[in-house]
Amino acid sequence: MSAYLLNLAELGIIFGLLSLSLNVLIGYGGIFSVAHAVFFGVGAYAGAQIALHIAPDVLLAALGGGLAAGVLSFALALPALRVRGEYFVVASLGLQMVATTIFTEAQGVTGGYGGLVGIPPPSLFGLDISSPWLFVSVCVAILLAVMAAVHALMQGSFGRSLMAVRDSESAAQAFGKIVPILKTLAVVLGCIIAGAAGGLFALQMSFVNVESFTLDQSVLIMAMVIIGGVGTLFGPLLGTALLLLLPAALSFLPGIPPTELGAVQQAIYGLAMTLLMIFRPGGIAGRAEGRR
Amino acid sequence: MLVLQLLASGLQTGALYALTAAGFALIFGATRIFHFAHGATYALAGYAFVLADHAGLPWPVGCLIALAVAVAFGLLTDVAMYRPIQRHSASFFTVFVAAFGVVIFIQSALEMTFGRSFIAVSSALTHASQVLPGLYLAQVFWVAIAVTGLVFGALGWFLSRSNSGIALRALAENAELLRAYGLSARRFSALAFALGSALVVPGAVLGAATTGLSPVVASHVMLVSLAASVVGGIGSLRGAAFGGFLLGIAENLVVAVLDTQWSEAAGFVVLFAFILLRPNGLFGAALAR
Amino acid sequence: MTQPMSPILSVRGLAKHFGGVAAVQGVDLDLPAGLITALVGPNGAGKTTLFNLITGAVAADAGRVTLAGKELARRTPARMARLGVARSFQDLRLFQSMSVHANVLTATEPHAWFWQPGGRRARMQRLQATELALAETGLSPLADALAAELAYAERKFLSLARILATGARIWLLDEPASGLDPASRSRFSALLRKHAAHGVAICLVEHNLDIVAELADRIVFLDQGRKLAEGEPGAILRDPALAAIYFGEQRA
Repeated sequence: MSAYLLNLAELGIIFGLLSLSLNVLIGYGGIFSVAHAVFFGVGAYAGAQIALHIAPDVLLAALGGGLAAGVLSFALALPALRVRGEYFVVASLGLQMVATTIFTEAQGVTGGYGGLVGIPPPSLFGLDISSPWLFVSVCVAILLAVMAAVHALMQGSFGRSLMAVRDSESAAQAFGKIVPILKTLAVVLGCIIAGAAGGLFALQMSFVNVESFTLDQSVLIMAMVIIGGVGTLFGPLLGTALLLLLPAALSFLPGIPPTELGAVQQAIYGLAMTLLMIFRPGGIAGRAEGRR
Repeated sequence: MLVLQLLASGLQTGALYALTAAGFALIFGATRIFHFAHGATYALAGYAFVLADHAGLPWPVGCLIALAVAVAFGLLTDVAMYRPIQRHSASFFTVFVAAFGVVIFIQSALEMTFGRSFIAVSSALTHASQVLPGLYLAQVFWVAIAVTGLVFGALGWFLSRSNSGIALRALAENAELLRAYGLSARRFSALAFALGSALVVPGAVLGAATTGLSPVVASHVMLVSLAASVVGGIGSLRGAAFGGFLLGIAENLVVAVLDTQWSEAAGFVVLFAFILLRPNGLFGAALAR
Repeated sequence: MTQPMSPILSVRGLAKHFGGVAAVQGVDLDLPAGLITALVGPNGAGKTTLFNLITGAVAADAGRVTLAGKELARRTPARMARLGVARSFQDLRLFQSMSVHANVLTATEPHAWFWQPGGRRARMQRLQATELALAETGLSPLADALAAELAYAERKFLSLARILATGARIWLLDEPASGLDPASRSRFSALLRKHAAHGVAICLVEHNLDIVAELADRIVFLDQGRKLAEGEPGAILRDPALAAIYFGEQRA
């Protein structure tokens, strides 16, 4: 039982990182990406390769994953952010749908459809931390550090600038803010964190495969942020906790065949997001009126 | 020649994409709403048609059912979703998330009902015959081209000759103007949604008869409609139609060089290229923020 | 009234066409330090477009803008802001989801990086500038309220407070005082007067002729994108030909 809970906690931390990083884009920056799982995947594959060929060090995998995802996001965001928000969403949707194909085809790096297996147990600076409690503790420490950093940034001038750009881009410009740079920084920051989460994921699961990096996953992360409450510090984490517990809760309901579980979850995410937008855009933790 | 064959199938796919994308552009042009749920309309219409066919109903009836479903769903999204949201928020965030949520919901519901695999309608129209050496065309090719031509012709006439059509274009230019003349912007937005949604039907029906449908078609069509609008220029119907053709051709030509699973990537590359090099699209006007 | 000094901001021959319509045609304008210039004219005269051309929000078809003698060729709003040209909007464009304090503070933080340069001292200065701007506009008690929750007059003052905090020397204000009650209006005018006396060049677009009469040192009259007249408020406001254009347009 405790192994199950610890596993859930590890996933909770990883998805907590994913949702809080997507919140930087969507909640603070007003930048809509439905491709967050792509950067999660890039980080996971990078972390897996590092673990397989260098060392299964947690920090190394997280940093490597973050770097890989960061570089990719920088390359893509720079041109993509020049255009209107609607176009950026479209581009991100396209990226997500293409990435699945790329992940499946790039056998050398990603192991193709079967993925990469046999990732050695995690270590930290040479010490074996594969025992569940140790690994969870390290992950918690990483999550807390990232939370503190993101919180500091969002409370400071960077967060204010992002929100200003989100609320009125023309007014933000009128006060000297260089919008493309700010948006790019937000996207790269969010994607670096997603990539780092990917590195952790690779070590946690001991294998990575493309199924974890599809549109469904991006939708899940988005739902966590939106249902929990955008633009708040704890909203996304609340959403993460809720939605991670959903599959377990659903398994108690009679009449849902296990093969349909995935589709049922996705249907719930979709419906929840739509209804929230109509009635309570701020999500659970946000203000009732949400944003103007 | 392979290229010629691919060009032909590209034209066929492109024709159907063009209609669907034009529907999206029509709705955006008239209501300024980025109707992300347009892909769900397509999926529902297509599946309705397949169900009707499997139930033994004749094709014209199936088409009518698909049309009814498309229009009803389009109007439903307008009345039950976009309008309540616009009343209190109208920010891009809420509109997008709500519409995207609908697509995901519909897609998942379809998957639960029909499973993940393709379903299709079999038809004699899809039997190909040789037209030129190396070029096989099925009757459905001519049907697609003819239907597309007819529908665009009718649409063009409607938008430039009929009172409602002209008003619809006026709405795109200036919603206040319409209100000043006492015309209901609401009724016209309903008209835009109905008409725009109806435009998915040829694509959905013919798609069901040729490549078949699967639940992910909702996302795919959504992407294509959006991409076509970007390529053609946002707010331009002609542009969206042209963009649809371009994407259909690109998707098919890619197969000459790479495997079929890269055909979707082709669309993405075209989209990204336009975003990079020509964000206003081919015919679009730069819109003020 | 202060003696006009040499212009800080100068505009020569600025022009812009949208499609077939000439929005602004060959407009010359000087904004000297310490003077309040009012831009008046009927609707559609091109006043807001002129502001957009000066700040670079819209690219001009022709014309030059010089700041302190130096010509500014490729203008963008962000660059102009950093050069000390602040601009307000007719529809305010406040940062709705942010607090009053944050709205003003962020106006002092143009640097596009994760933090602003200058360390603690600079941060103290920015906070002080924010506090001062809030105090001058009477918004200090509302510092923690959300911009979206403010009453109309408070929103107008917040728009001004953002500009005050930046320390800009040239203000382009688009109908900043429209719709204000008399008491708020005189408070507003006093603030503008005070900062003009400290050398700020202010240019206001204004429809309310009472405000114009009260505040302006000089009036520039625009119609259909052209400058028709320029001079002392008394002379311009009493000119029957200009009145006919101004009020005639309004009645149509």
